[in-house]
Amino acid sequence: MATIIEFQDAVLGYGSKAILRGITFSIDTGDYFGLVGPNGAGKTTILRTILGTLRPLSGTVTAQGENGLPLRFGYVPQRDTIDYALPYTVEEVVMMGRYRQRGLFRRPGKEDREAVGRCLDHVAIADLAGLAFKELSGGQKQRVLIARALASEPDVLVLDEPTNGMDLSSRLAILELVHRLHRDDGLTVLLVSHLLEDVANYVSRLAIVERDFFKVGKVDEILTGQNLSTMYELPVDVRTIDGRKVILSGGGNGGR
Amino acid sequence: MGAAEIVRTIVQEFPLALYGSMLVGVICAFLGVYIVARRVVFLGAVMTQVSVMGIALTFLPFFPLPHTVGSLVVTLATVVIISRLLTGKKIPRDAVLGVVFVTSIAARILIMQKSPKVEVAEIENLLRGDILFVTPELFILMIVAFVVAMGAHLLLFKEFTYVSFDPETARTQGYNAVWWDTAFYLLAGVVISFATHMVGDIYVFGFLVVPPVAAMLLARKVTHIFIVSVLIGLLSAPVGLFLAFLFDLPSSPAIVGVASVVLGIAWIVNVARRR
Repeated sequence: MATIIEFQDAVLGYGSKAILRGITFSIDTGDYFGLVGPNGAGKTTILRTILGTLRPLSGTVTAQGENGLPLRFGYVPQRDTIDYALPYTVEEVVMMGRYRQRGLFRRPGKEDREAVGRCLDHVAIADLAGLAFKELSGGQKQRVLIARALASEPDVLVLDEPTNGMDLSSRLAILELVHRLHRDDGLTVLLVSHLLEDVANYVSRLAIVERDFFKVGKVDEILTGQNLSTMYELPVDVRTIDGRKVILSGGGNGGR
Repeated sequence: MGAAEIVRTIVQEFPLALYGSMLVGVICAFLGVYIVARRVVFLGAVMTQVSVMGIALTFLPFFPLPHTVGSLVVTLATVVIISRLLTGKKIPRDAVLGVVFVTSIAARILIMQKSPKVEVAEIENLLRGDILFVTPELFILMIVAFVVAMGAHLLLFKEFTYVSFDPETARTQGYNAVWWDTAFYLLAGVVISFATHMVGDIYVFGFLVVPPVAAMLLARKVTHIFIVSVLIGLLSAPVGLFLAFLFDLPSSPAIVGVASVVLGIAWIVNVARRR
């Protein structure tokens, strides 16, 4: 597996203000990589740097495909960053994933419509194509955004807090879908979340981030009570029940 | 005057008023969909007031530009500043627009106070705009602005809608959202500047808001919203002009009134549909 994203002693932040220092890690093709940490810890800063919308203050960050070309990201944003004023149909939203391939002035054609149909089918929402995106449930919206990311034919699928604000069944369905895309399609996936269990039970490699605290490695190496206690500044234990990792905090009442 | 005579009078004696108001109605109704969708409706009001202030500035000895040029320069300069501030997070959007709005009005009043009396009356006329006395020069300028703005939006429809719908993802796909936003506001600024000079601030702001809102109530697809909004913009002008002649009303408020009636009907239709 080749390294496609690499941080070397990077200092990340905004303007002249550094938020994270000494960040060194890499992501390889075919990885299922999780990035977790409390709200405000700097996950979005790392994410933006990976996506190329934020430059490191120092150090180096590279995001290059095996062919030497810049990586294509299929980005699934947090749902509340989207403007719901106009009633775009599901098909129109997914078509946006094809816009970069079309370039300026060119309208999407038959090939694009077929690609959109395939992506909708792939995430099992072909029947929603003509509906207004803004009227869908949270889980359905997330599937549409994943379909749009797939329509851009990405090298890496990047999901930012994909299960935020969802009920349990929708959350599991989305996580299973992403897992399937990784397993069956061999897609490199970067999953960002503050919901530790969501990430820990699916990814193969994990980075935990908090200001002045950054660890990266295989899930079993990183997901330890000691690391999590340091990150959250409270007693945290990690147990495995029926093969699933469960995070217990405080007096052992459970929860995240 | 009978209906046929009114129509003949409008078409034969005030053709620029008729076609000019339709032109402004169409382009403002089109751009207004973006403005309403982006939740920057107040921007329309602000830009009309900035444009008016730009006209007022040309009456001062140190800003000796033609009214149209003065209005355009001030509007575009303000648009560049506003578009930067609107994407920032330090000052809320409506606060940015509020500051520019009130400053423009205050500046206009101060300028009028310091102008010779005869010019104050002239300024008042220009600020109100008068559809019936559209000059050929302004009409041609408006056509140019119309072609440029509509052409840009039709050619770059997918980019403008994408950046408006989901700027964060668009950015990851290589679209510079700030650049696209600025381009949109500049195009809107050119149109609003010429249109305000031609038909007045009430007309322009009215058509930036009323037809798009009516269209959003009536249509269920994005492209249909644009089409319905443009149709309301196109048809309200001749109907409003006709009613203005028939009942001896001021033309701009009459035309905006027609669009508002359509909005009222759209609202009733929307309520009826939901039941």
